[in-house]
Formats: sequence, structure tokens, C-alpha cells
Amino acid sequence: MAQLPRGQHGLSREYIAEHQRARLFAAVAAVLDSKGYAGATVSAVAGEARISKSDFYNQFESKDDCFLAAYDAAVGRLRGEVLLACAPHDGWAEGVCAGLAAALATLAAAPAEANLLLAEGLCAGPEVCARFRLLVESFVSHLSDGAPDLAAADRVTAATGEAVVGAIASLLGRRILAGEGAQLTRFFPELAEFALSPYVGVAEARRIISAG
Amino acid sequence: MPPSGKGGTGEQTAKRPAASARPALPREFIALHKQRRIMDALAELTAEQGYEATKISDIVKRAGVARKTLYDNFEGKEEVFLAAFDSARDELMRRVEEGADGGDDADGGWQDRLEGGLAAFLGFVAEQPTVARMCMIEALSATPATTKRYEDAVDAFVELTRKALPDDDRLPGTIAETLVGGVIWIVYQQLRRGEAERAEDLLPELSEFMTAPYLTSA
Repeated sequence: MAQLPRGQHGLSREYIAEHQRARLFAAVAAVLDSKGYAGATVSAVAGEARISKSDFYNQFESKDDCFLAAYDAAVGRLRGEVLLACAPHDGWAEGVCAGLAAALATLAAAPAEANLLLAEGLCAGPEVCARFRLLVESFVSHLSDGAPDLAAADRVTAATGEAVVGAIASLLGRRILAGEGAQLTRFFPELAEFALSPYVGVAEARRIISAG
Repeated sequence: MPPSGKGGTGEQTAKRPAASARPALPREFIALHKQRRIMDALAELTAEQGYEATKISDIVKRAGVARKTLYDNFEGKEEVFLAAFDSARDELMRRVEEGADGGDDADGGWQDRLEGGLAAFLGFVAEQPTVARMCMIEALSATPATTKRYEDAVDAFVELTRKALPDDDRLPGTIAETLVGGVIWIVYQQLRRGEAERAEDLLPELSEFMTAPYLTSA
């Protein structure tokens, strides 16, 4: 992200602060990705954002404070993209596929941010883990709401949606750690099959995915 | 875990020719027993208050050992954690493998193997909630080394699952990873809610999750 011009530029203090925060969020993800959580010190993050340490502390109380804010911003972006992609679809299966495709595309387009959200970011401690948990939980209703009700056929249980979403988050985290963050979209067909199969069976899931 | 679990090691030691008049058994046995107490104390404390808040002074007090004893046996808190993690993982792996083999009956189908391994896993969690909490919650974010251990352990369970699944080209390539990830997620949530003792109640649902959708393709 470009640095703002120095000196008299007539930009409001709020605008500059907002711009600095956005630069710091991008820097948190970039430094985490290149140096790991231990290497993501205030100096390293401020340096990457080309912001002085004193400006950093004007914005955030601590590294953890900045980390959580960066995490929340990334969650907001991912959720926004997924909701936007799901919205036009009335059908359950089409909505799930569109949401999954959008999630994979958003993560793959910003692998450092994906690493913050689903992989190395979790090293930051219990508070980030709690945010991660809420993120995963927030997607469960998108999968299970409006799903074909096959409970009578003993196929789908209360834990199904939660297990499927948790499983996908876990798989993506593992692949991000393995350095495959930028290629996450290639998992779309098998993850879509994995998500739909408990509800509609494997054959129908494959038919839906190949038709879409 | 009772200290008797380490008895086997002590007996092997005792069979060695004694270098001195005093057999080495008691001292080694006591050292192992103390290491066990220290590791158990750390598991309990991290389950109660988290890894970060757990101090060496808390651990030695809970374990009833001298501070020096801890440092004679471990470099520090992280090494205690890693040793406790490794010990728990080894026991869990052994029990899951035994569960998958179904005791003496090794002829079970792949569903039986998955369900047997899953039942053993849930049994372990229900029996040792503090250890499970340490391994499945605290290890995630305690230190970079504990995170790595956690990921390696997940890899090992993914491998076990992969071997248990039927050899079918049509199964997604990531199926072992997603099944293990889904099971871990549900158990993690159960642990977090403080309901580890009821982990075995999850068996029917998780067994369904692991096997049902693929019955038609396998």
C-alpha cells in the first residue's frame, strides 16, 4: 500500500489514521507470513508498514491489540465476500457452492491473510483462537440452514454441519501451512462434494457440482 | 495416569547387572514417578488456567516436588509441556490403533476400523479430559514448538485414517484430512464447553460423519 505524501497535504487526521491502520493490517499478515508469529514484533510490523513505532502506539496499545484488529478486519473481508456470493442463489446447494468458491478465491488471492486467518495466526494465543472459532461457527448456519432435511433417513445429525465446516477450515489451514495458500481454489470440487454429500449423497453431490 | 504404567521400564532396568550393591531400580523409578507427577501437574494447571498463566512455582507446588527436581528433569516449562504431550500422543496413538484393529479380530471392514479407532479416541478424551484439553486446546497456541507438535500429531492421525479408508479412486484426495479435521473440531468444541466426560456420546454422530456419505461410492 502506498505511503501518503509527507508535509502539507491537507488530509484529515482521521483519514491518515485509517490509512495507517490499513497499512498495519496488511503488514501484520505479511510479517507473520514471512517471519512467523515470534518474528512479528512491533518493530517488524511498523517497519513493514513504513510507520514509526510511535505512530504504531498511537493506533494500538500492543502487538496483540494490533493482531486482533487485523484478524477482525480479515474476518470481515472473508465473511463479506462469502455473503455477497451466496446472496443471489435461492437454491441451497448453489448457495453453498457459491459461498465455498468465494471463500477459496478470497483466501487464495491473499495467501498471507489466509495464513493469518486459518493457520499461523492461531499461534497468537487464546483470543485469536476464540475469534477463529467464531469465524468457523458463523459459517455453519450457511451450510445447514435450508439444507434438505434428511434427518429422518438418519443421514444428517446435529453435528454434521459443524463437522463439515470445521473439517474444511482444518484442511485449508493444513494446506496453507504446507505453502499451498495461493492454490486453494483447486480444492473446490472435492470440498464441495465433501460439504454436499452428507445431505444429498455422493452421486447427487457430484451431479450438482458438474452441472454448476 | 497411574505411575504403574512406567513399571515396565523399571523392570527392564532391574534386569541389568547392578553396578553397585544398591539396585538402580528405586532411584530410576522415583525419577520417572516424579517426572510423571510434574507432567500431570502441568496438564491440570494448563487445563485450569491456560499455559501462559502457569508458572514453574505452580507446577512444583501441584506436583509436590522441589523446584530443583523439576530442573533436574526438564529444561523448563515448555519441555515439561512437550514431554507431557508426547506421552499422551503415544498412548492415544496406541489405543486408537488397537481400537481400529478391534482387539484380536483383525478382519473388520474399513467402517469397523474407523469406528473402532474413533471409539478409542473418544474414550481417551472422556477418561483424561485435562490431558485432552492440554493436547487439543492449549497446544494450539502455547508456543511455536507445541503448535508444531500438534500439527505433526494431526498428520499421524491423518495417515492412520488414510490407511483405514478403502482404496477407491473416486474418494476425494483430501478425504482423510477432512474426516480427521471434522472429528477434531467437534471434540475440540466439546472440550471447550467443559463436556469432555461425555465425549463418548459423540460416537454415533461422528461415526456417521466418517462413514455414511461414502458408503455409496466405496
